[in-house]
Amino acid sequence: MKKVAAGVLCAALAASSMAVPVLADDNEMVLYTWEGMFPQEVLDGFQEETGIKLIYSNFDTDETMLEKLSMAKGGDYDVIIADDYIIETVVQEGLAEKLDKEKLTGYDNINPLYQGQFYDPDDEYTVPYGAGIPLIVYDPEMVDIEIKGYNDLWNPELEDSIALTANYRVINGITNLALGKSMNEEDVESIQETGEKLLELAPNVRLIQDDNTQNALLSGEASVAFLYTSQVMAALAENPDLEVVYPEEGLGFGIMGMFIASDAPDKDAAYQFVDYILRPEIAAQCFDYMGYYCTNKAADDLVDPKLVVPDSVTGGEIVQNVSQEAEEQYNKNWTEFRAACD
Amino acid sequence: MRRRRSGSVWMILPLYIFTLIFVAGPLIYMVALSFATANEVHGVDWIFTLDNYKKILEPVYLDTFVQSFQLALTSTAINCLVGYPFGYFMAKMSESGKKKAMLFLMLPFWVNSLIRLYGWIIILQKKGLLNYLLQSLGIIDKPLSILYSYPAIVVGMVYALLPFMILSVYSSAEKLDWSLIEAARDLGASRTKAFWTISFRLTVPGLLSGIILTFIPSMGLFFIADILGGNKIVLVGSLIQEQMTRVGNWPFAAAMAVVMMVLTTIMIALYRKITNVKELEGIG
Repeated sequence: MKKVAAGVLCAALAASSMAVPVLADDNEMVLYTWEGMFPQEVLDGFQEETGIKLIYSNFDTDETMLEKLSMAKGGDYDVIIADDYIIETVVQEGLAEKLDKEKLTGYDNINPLYQGQFYDPDDEYTVPYGAGIPLIVYDPEMVDIEIKGYNDLWNPELEDSIALTANYRVINGITNLALGKSMNEEDVESIQETGEKLLELAPNVRLIQDDNTQNALLSGEASVAFLYTSQVMAALAENPDLEVVYPEEGLGFGIMGMFIASDAPDKDAAYQFVDYILRPEIAAQCFDYMGYYCTNKAADDLVDPKLVVPDSVTGGEIVQNVSQEAEEQYNKNWTEFRAACD
Repeated sequence: MRRRRSGSVWMILPLYIFTLIFVAGPLIYMVALSFATANEVHGVDWIFTLDNYKKILEPVYLDTFVQSFQLALTSTAINCLVGYPFGYFMAKMSESGKKKAMLFLMLPFWVNSLIRLYGWIIILQKKGLLNYLLQSLGIIDKPLSILYSYPAIVVGMVYALLPFMILSVYSSAEKLDWSLIEAARDLGASRTKAFWTISFRLTVPGLLSGIILTFIPSMGLFFIADILGGNKIVLVGSLIQEQMTRVGNWPFAAAMAVVMMVLTTIMIALYRKITNVKELEGIG
């Protein structure tokens, strides 16, 4: 029995590693994204309603997706969900379909906060599907001041009490935002100024860590933390009394976008699927399941309130690649900053 | 006799090939890489440059080397102070005592070092064991911020490397001819004098190899600084890792690695020279 099971497993492994292009027949469509992006009910619901058989194909990294999609010349797959930066390349290489918005009845449900971003400035190709937003979280019992934005992190009251994530572009980015600049400032002299400002933050830093940063906040080791979305959710699950700050200077985003492949085998089915996901009640189920910020305005009332960015927030920016000189200066800022923290 | 020799060459050959491919090869690649230019987007352009080495001389990066050196020096000094007496007295124990001590020394190694470091977090954190103890003893009334500080890193370093010091001191103290000390005592030397003139000098090689064994790794154990120090001290190791994984500047990372390697090689050469000299004096 065991041998049989092992044989089946081996066969399955071999089949999956051969990477045969997924062939969809008339009433099938291929959804291509990371694993675990949809609750099963949502996928089942679509199949029942439309009679279209959904094939869920997944990739590990955005780069794999790009490679496969460009090998298939925009074919083989119907609907794809990937990260902001890679979509920029996908669009440049002509692998994404220009959306016919007439076919998307729920298009207006999209929260405009997440539109018009660099990878699709005129919203021609993508529908956002969830956002990750690093935010400030603090324990009001341990902090005497009110924190409204990044600039408050520099308050001397917070000496030795902030936990930061370790992404140097993001930390430089919020310093830029605190100074009223773009997260993607390219001017080296201006970035040096950012570095000086960052150095002033050093006395307030308790620790810098990328993994499970929320633990420092929960254990009382730090009273303020700048956390990734998954960490914000983990922290709130453990201690709902924590205060989440949507910084008044603007947010730093990471957006996942949904697009239709330029040569999708079944475009009609693809449009039907995208429109199905744009329905508020379906979108809400998806965001609750994923734990990412809701990008569907009409779903805001239905989704877990923790996943809704308040209306007061109107701006956000995505960290993008910058020139090598700028990148180097950002990194130098970061090294100087870390060394100054002790 | 000759035949056995040629036979042994064949036995050793796989090892030679292995070393060539997996040790010499990567080393050559790394040195070559350190003279290459980083590509704007990703990867490496094979254009010769000395910029990577020049960059190390910038104060930001030079400071990292100094900081790494200082930390290694501090933890090695503490290792000597704690490890030397431990190893020395361990060698003086009875046979069964030695066995027990050795077992206790090796026991922690059965657990992954990363997990042991997380154990230190539980001890050192604000709501942790140490603060609880100090508070209930009435020594402090507010919990101390010990975790994510310089002393926490030193504690982690010493903890991780102490066994190497103890074992190398122990192995040289074990070989010590105790009758020499008895003779010295018979001839009227005080305990201290007998120790410093005989025991200590005879165990210096063990101490020195202990220093090498603890000093060199402590320049590279950046994950201790990350986990217990909250990333606030930049060591060369973490800088190299960051350049590799986050920044994508491999040539610069390679240049720093080469400099590190040269520094440690100099130290090992120095050590060999010192111990050889001692041997010539008849103490080693």
